[in-house]
Amino acid sequence: MSGGAPVPGEPLTTVSIVAGPLVGPVLRRVVGMLAARADLPLDRLDDAVLVADLIAARAPAHMAGSRVDVALEPGPRSLSLRVGPLRAGGGQALIVDAAVPGVGNVIEQLADELSVSPEADGEFLLVRLAYAATAA
Amino acid sequence: MGDNVARRGSPMRCIMSCFEPRWPNIRPASIRPGTPVRGGPRMGTATLLMTTNRSSPGLGEGEQDSGGSDVRLTLPARPENVAVVRHVLGAFAEALQLPDPVIEDMRLAVTEACTNVVRHAYSDGDPGPVEILIRPEGDTLQVIVSDEGRGLGPGGDSAGPGLGLPLIAALSHSLEIEQAPSSGSRLSMSFLRAPRRMELA
Repeated sequence: MSGGAPVPGEPLTTVSIVAGPLVGPVLRRVVGMLAARADLPLDRLDDAVLVADLIAARAPAHMAGSRVDVALEPGPRSLSLRVGPLRAGGGQALIVDAAVPGVGNVIEQLADELSVSPEADGEFLLVRLAYAATAA
Repeated sequence: MGDNVARRGSPMRCIMSCFEPRWPNIRPASIRPGTPVRGGPRMGTATLLMTTNRSSPGLGEGEQDSGGSDVRLTLPARPENVAVVRHVLGAFAEALQLPDPVIEDMRLAVTEACTNVVRHAYSDGDPGPVEILIRPEGDTLQVIVSDEGRGLGPGGDSAGPGLGLPLIAALSHSLEIEQAPSSGSRLSMSFLRAPRRMELA
């Protein structure tokens, strides 16, 4: 057992779900399990699941295709999510969409790192959650 | 797929001999296409396909482009990830409101299939991917477990009773086992979304 830390050369964990009612239930479970295995404390695990729920709810409108694709990389007390390919401008639009009235932008508040990365096949939203004591 | 089915006559006998060391309970007679795997209420069919022209060990082209409400999960073939698959199956089943007996059968069969990949597909310390596709199709639910490992063959590294495949065949409505030599294997199983009347009785 590697405690969630990635093993060099090991394939990434990816989940691809047709946009629809299954995105939320499936994504939150995968994220929850990997966050637990990455040894994130309960409050950060809860944050990770909240981010997963937000991505599940908002991402379908911004994906390049009809599926929601997320790659997950657990690290030492951290979990990174890579959402995409998103359509052009979809990364920023997804972040903006994650704003909740009266609360603000939830993903921005919860993520330790948040960035949009344009690549050949579309944009990718990178979200990293970590335990504060070990955050880079 | 049609080619594969047409070709399965003699290769099947050949490949069945490969099963014997690892899965002694699987015999050509019990896995012949269209033949009931086992008597009783969950009688299904099992089919063994020998593939020689698969360029990719993963999902077929048509499956890649499926527009249905499917879930595709790729994980490193490590023991702890079998639990993730079980958890995702639970989510899927919950969302589709599948009856408990179907969920339990599906979980057990898919766990066995994933465990086979974890234990046998790759060499120790070098886990490759295991890919799981879950897809509703009419009144059945199709689950495909595929890998890019060394394919089905003599194990020699298992002290287990070799009950995995017979168990999967017994629990599923239908089972197809496909392998491309040196580029992985693929188990395609389907489950009825509602238990049969006979099972309810």
